[in-house]
Amino acid sequence: MPRWFLSRVGPALALLVAVTGTACSSSSAATSGPCTPSANPVVTLAAYSNPYAAYGKLISTWQSEWKDAHDGQLVQFLTSFGGSTTQAQSIINGLGADIYASSLAPDVEMVQQAGLITNDWQHAKDNSIVQSGSVVFDVRPGNPKHIENWNDLTQPGLKILTPDPAQSGGAKWNIVAAYGAAMRGEVPGYQKGNTADAERLLEGIFKNVTVMDKSANDSLKNFESGNGDVAITYDYQLAAAKAAGGDDVLVEPPSTVQVQTPTVVVDENANAHCVADIAKQFVDYLHTKEAQDIFASTAYTRPIPTAEAAKATDFLPAVKDLFTTDDLGGWDQLVSDTVFGPNGAFTQAFQAAKG
Amino acid sequence: MAEIVAIEHPARRPEGRARPPAGAALRRWSLRGAAFVYLGLFIILPVGVLLQHGFGAGFANLRDALRTPGGSAAIRLTLEMAALTAIINGIFGTLLAYVLVRMRFPGRDLLTTVVDLPFAVPTLVAGVMLVALYGPNSTVGGWFEAHGIHIIFAPLGILLALLFVTLPLVVRSVQPVLLELDPAEEEAARVLGAGRWTTFRRVMFPALRPAIAAGCLLAFARALGEYGAIVIVSGNIINKTLTAPVFITELLQPSAYVRTGGPDAAAAVSAVLFGLAFVLVLITEKLVHTERS
Repeated sequence: MPRWFLSRVGPALALLVAVTGTACSSSSAATSGPCTPSANPVVTLAAYSNPYAAYGKLISTWQSEWKDAHDGQLVQFLTSFGGSTTQAQSIINGLGADIYASSLAPDVEMVQQAGLITNDWQHAKDNSIVQSGSVVFDVRPGNPKHIENWNDLTQPGLKILTPDPAQSGGAKWNIVAAYGAAMRGEVPGYQKGNTADAERLLEGIFKNVTVMDKSANDSLKNFESGNGDVAITYDYQLAAAKAAGGDDVLVEPPSTVQVQTPTVVVDENANAHCVADIAKQFVDYLHTKEAQDIFASTAYTRPIPTAEAAKATDFLPAVKDLFTTDDLGGWDQLVSDTVFGPNGAFTQAFQAAKG
Repeated sequence: MAEIVAIEHPARRPEGRARPPAGAALRRWSLRGAAFVYLGLFIILPVGVLLQHGFGAGFANLRDALRTPGGSAAIRLTLEMAALTAIINGIFGTLLAYVLVRMRFPGRDLLTTVVDLPFAVPTLVAGVMLVALYGPNSTVGGWFEAHGIHIIFAPLGILLALLFVTLPLVVRSVQPVLLELDPAEEEAARVLGAGRWTTFRRVMFPALRPAIAAGCLLAFARALGEYGAIVIVSGNIINKTLTAPVFITELLQPSAYVRTGGPDAAAAVSAVLFGLAFVLVLITEKLVHTERS
């Protein structure tokens, strides 16, 4: 048997070595140095995991439009999907992405601070936001725990699923949503503009958090497999789960944050690969009506302008009070000070809840 | 092929429980029963569920998964990388085992312990380490990059991660057999004029072959399923560096459900990987068994 193994399998494995060897060397042909636009340009997109299906469709649609307008030229796309923050770190570590589709602005800032993004993305069209949604509650059929607003999440014994903000960029959206709703005086029993009250709400919620998964997606999967009474998640993710046949029930809180996800050109890489112009045109395309319709039908997202986003869509209910992170002073302030800073509302509340 | 073998392996329950004879037999049966129940609960049952989800509707789920962009390329890449891992670690694992068993040098005990380190390090950490060492922006990785060799976010990085994770498997499989081999045989060969290499090839290798093959196959099977280290080092570029385990987790995205079978497609791909691993373990056992009997 071993002789058989060595004589039969051995050569096959040797062949594999040869094949993989050539595969490796062909992959090392990535362009660098002086910029001469390739006849067969290759654009690399690193995206967070949720818009997987949407980008598939957006790319193929854009590719065929480009082909028609550019003498049959095919722009090849290399795509990578993963956690938003993980992708940001990979780009900083040298993953040569020309375009970065992030789930939240602070992740883009990380890449910017590493010197890879030099364009003024925060002041570009729609502030570079290409997808929008809101933070909602995923509850069991019939909503047996009567969860309608943020204060309902503090009822004793409730089991809440939300991802870990230390690991999941998206988890920060959930916390900002609860914080903002309290600060705007839209949560019964919590005074408007009162930081201590907002902290109390977060503490009450996090006392009930039983599972902190590593991503929003894991939270949802966990909930669907029967864990917990409520999962805090994105409305578009929930709509996707429902479209796939889940029995999830979406509850839109009266006041919640507008989730805004930016997609930007990573200038340093795009220039090095000599695809800066193509990459920019693709990102611009994402802001068109056609692309937005694809986002809405494939990824169940809301329109970009906040006033528009608050309205009901084919898949999602209307929101009474939809606010943005800018209404709360912007991400910088939320991350470094008011919510996630050393003395921020969440930092304090989390210590109190788990201490 | 792989799936069929896997399907043909139903949960076997202990038979003949009726007519318990003496106390000794009863004890023997309860021991056997405990083993079967344990195996059934923790291995056979989950695998059964996986197969039921993946292939409950025939091959439609697998077809869906393979039609998803990057699906078949991911499986191919995973097989190639696992095969390379098995070969390279087969060679160097054996070498390491030989050095550790047959040679005397200071720090040998320490080195023996170091071999086990990959088992104790979370594989995700292994990935982070490799990126820090060989990433395009690190000193070492930058040098390679300047010379046109891409390591991290390229297939080579995946290979390095897999080599790290599976190294102990070959060493630990060869080492005990080597320890049992009588050094007198080697000495005899040396005395009769054989060089070191000839001694290894003609005297030791035939005896070690089943253990090396077993270690290689274990490494191959382990490499098929590795996720943690790879997800960090590969960059997960579809059709280029996306491996099957990472592809499976992407299939689990709710946004992917609509286009593919979602969890069921993921189960189908997992079952294919599992089936391959299963067949390999069977071959390994056969190899070891034939050689010993």
